[in-house]
Amino acid sequence: MKRMQTQLNTRSAEFQANAEHNKRIAAEFRERQRAARFDRPERDVERLRKQNKLLVRERLERLLDPGTPFLELSTLAANMEYGGEVPGAGVVTGIGIVAGREVMINAGDASVKGGAWYPLSVKKTIRALDIAIENRLPVVHLCDSAGGFLPLQAELFADRYYAGRIFRNQSILSKMGVQQVAVVCGHCTAGGAYVPGLSDYNVIVRGTGAIFLAGPPLVKAATGEEVTVEELGGCDMHTSKSGTADYPASSEDEAFAIARDIVGQFKRPQKAQVEWQEPEAPLYPAEDLYGIIPKDIKQQFDIREVIARLVDGSRFHEYQPNYGKTLICGYAHLWGYKIGILANNGVLFNDSALKGAHFIELCNQNRTPLLFLQNITGFMVGREYEQRGITKDGAKMIMAVSCSEVPKFTVIVNGSFGAGNYGMSGRAFDPRFLFMWPQSQISVMGAEQAANTLADVKIRQLARHGKQLTPEEVAAIREPVLTDVKRQSSALYSTSEVWDDGILDPVDTRNALGIAISAALNTPIEEPRYGVFRM
Amino acid sequence: MHHAFKLGEAEHDIELSRSTGGYRLHVGGRSIAVDLVALPGGNLMLSTDGRCEPVVIAQRGDSVFVHLDGAAYQLDYEHPLDRLAQQTQGAAADSVRAPMPGSVIAVAVKPGDTVKRGDTLLVMESMKMETTIAAPRDGVVAAVHFGAGQTFDRDALLLELQIETPA
Repeated sequence: MKRMQTQLNTRSAEFQANAEHNKRIAAEFRERQRAARFDRPERDVERLRKQNKLLVRERLERLLDPGTPFLELSTLAANMEYGGEVPGAGVVTGIGIVAGREVMINAGDASVKGGAWYPLSVKKTIRALDIAIENRLPVVHLCDSAGGFLPLQAELFADRYYAGRIFRNQSILSKMGVQQVAVVCGHCTAGGAYVPGLSDYNVIVRGTGAIFLAGPPLVKAATGEEVTVEELGGCDMHTSKSGTADYPASSEDEAFAIARDIVGQFKRPQKAQVEWQEPEAPLYPAEDLYGIIPKDIKQQFDIREVIARLVDGSRFHEYQPNYGKTLICGYAHLWGYKIGILANNGVLFNDSALKGAHFIELCNQNRTPLLFLQNITGFMVGREYEQRGITKDGAKMIMAVSCSEVPKFTVIVNGSFGAGNYGMSGRAFDPRFLFMWPQSQISVMGAEQAANTLADVKIRQLARHGKQLTPEEVAAIREPVLTDVKRQSSALYSTSEVWDDGILDPVDTRNALGIAISAALNTPIEEPRYGVFRM
Repeated sequence: MHHAFKLGEAEHDIELSRSTGGYRLHVGGRSIAVDLVALPGGNLMLSTDGRCEPVVIAQRGDSVFVHLDGAAYQLDYEHPLDRLAQQTQGAAADSVRAPMPGSVIAVAVKPGDTVKRGDTLLVMESMKMETTIAAPRDGVVAAVHFGAGQTFDRDALLLELQIETPA
């Protein structure tokens, strides 16, 4: 595989301006991430200290193998909801290494509203367990939660992907033979009681840990019975009498040591066989990425410059370099793993869609995981392209993406608009992981197009009644749409809603993908099978 | 494996094959037994046709720096795909065609201008996106067929390049 030749002039004024702009955005993102992880009201931290409890980040330090990477997911979940008062949606999830095993971490954060489950906490937890199912990752749950946030119970209790799904997913994991450990560090009340209940192993901390369907106040209200926390669901009762908990621990430190020892008993997975070779750092520095992404999202750039900064040795075998040139396809290695890359270099035409579908089939045939790099405005429009069947060619690509059996990974590097998001393995197409760069945008169409479309519809409606809108009235229709779509198409909004698995500083993308690919290979790769391709 | 290295300006085609206890280097119709052995302490010992010499090797990207017998050499590795592509490129890259239908926003060059590979030739707009058309190789602009504001179809011939004639 030959090295890619960069066309980039890193001394140009344009590159420097882009770099300055994108570095500032990355720095703002890192600051938000830091605040979401560590900034807590003093009184919440004091309350936990008084209860003799550790903060969730301190718990992770004790649980994870020292010096190993932790790929935290959706750190900025809920950053635009609940008045910004529920950082990380009150849950820490991610892939880490415990006793030499790759595991999914699902840890409640009691320093946020007592660890109460908000609707987005539930969504983030379910996503973490979906990842565990798809990638056969053992799970370590760290339980410390006040229970569901009652004022919002209608948005987290009853629907298919609401709280019940957590316990359903835990049961499915167990059925698949993927093991789970729960460490009960605080209270597990009501639904939360089933998290340790449905884990194969659980450890409970004496004095602070408790498991019950209803806490003492609710029991008193329901039956009049007066009972202490310890009698109702404490460490000694559950480990000696009820058998709901397995291992008693005298402190959190002991509990994490026991949990590590339990994970150390897990059978190591047989990874799916894919091409692998000794990893090689990219020839071109990752910092260049800041200067490659234009300040203005309307400006196109050569996505090959991005590929050159992600893959081993900046080596890329480009497939069909002269056909459907707005979709770059080809093979590379990333942290040693052979991957097939599909990356946008403009709008999708008939030929680019066909090339994409063909390349996805090739990668499925030779068991090569797929990386999608999205910078897409959509499929080409207009009479000529409809007559050539742009819709049916797009349908072929979507069919290939949907039915692909090799693991898919998606990174939205700049724009993700319209059906292009679908053809390029958006969230709905079950990529194993989906990450966004901090400046990227995602929506059904650009904010200005959406505002203009709605204004046009209104103008034509009124024109039928012989009325005309003044420019002020048109502006009054456009402005709120423009503001809303702009806000809702930002990467921060996407990650707030858990439409992605987190925002990545571009320079971290290679490492994050390395961890993601390694995790994905826990699941065997099946024979590819597709539906009917419209020819 | 076939390899090509540049030593100074000269290109050398070499092939390497395995043999019992080392490699055989095929160069200019000759075949030489070679081996490179790491010595304790990190030094390397190069053996060619049974003659042993200490050697120091450093690598940066595709360049290899070799200290041997009091002299320093720089070898530049050339991937066969790059080398063979250089010979065939030309005619196809002389015509710069539109990757998609659209209109010209700005033309950065005029006929007679000398351009380097990667230089901006023209900026176009299509589907609400701006795309920069860059020079596919070094050359001189022979003709510019569209001006700012003009629209064109996909594959329209936007510009033509010719190979730079030495002055």
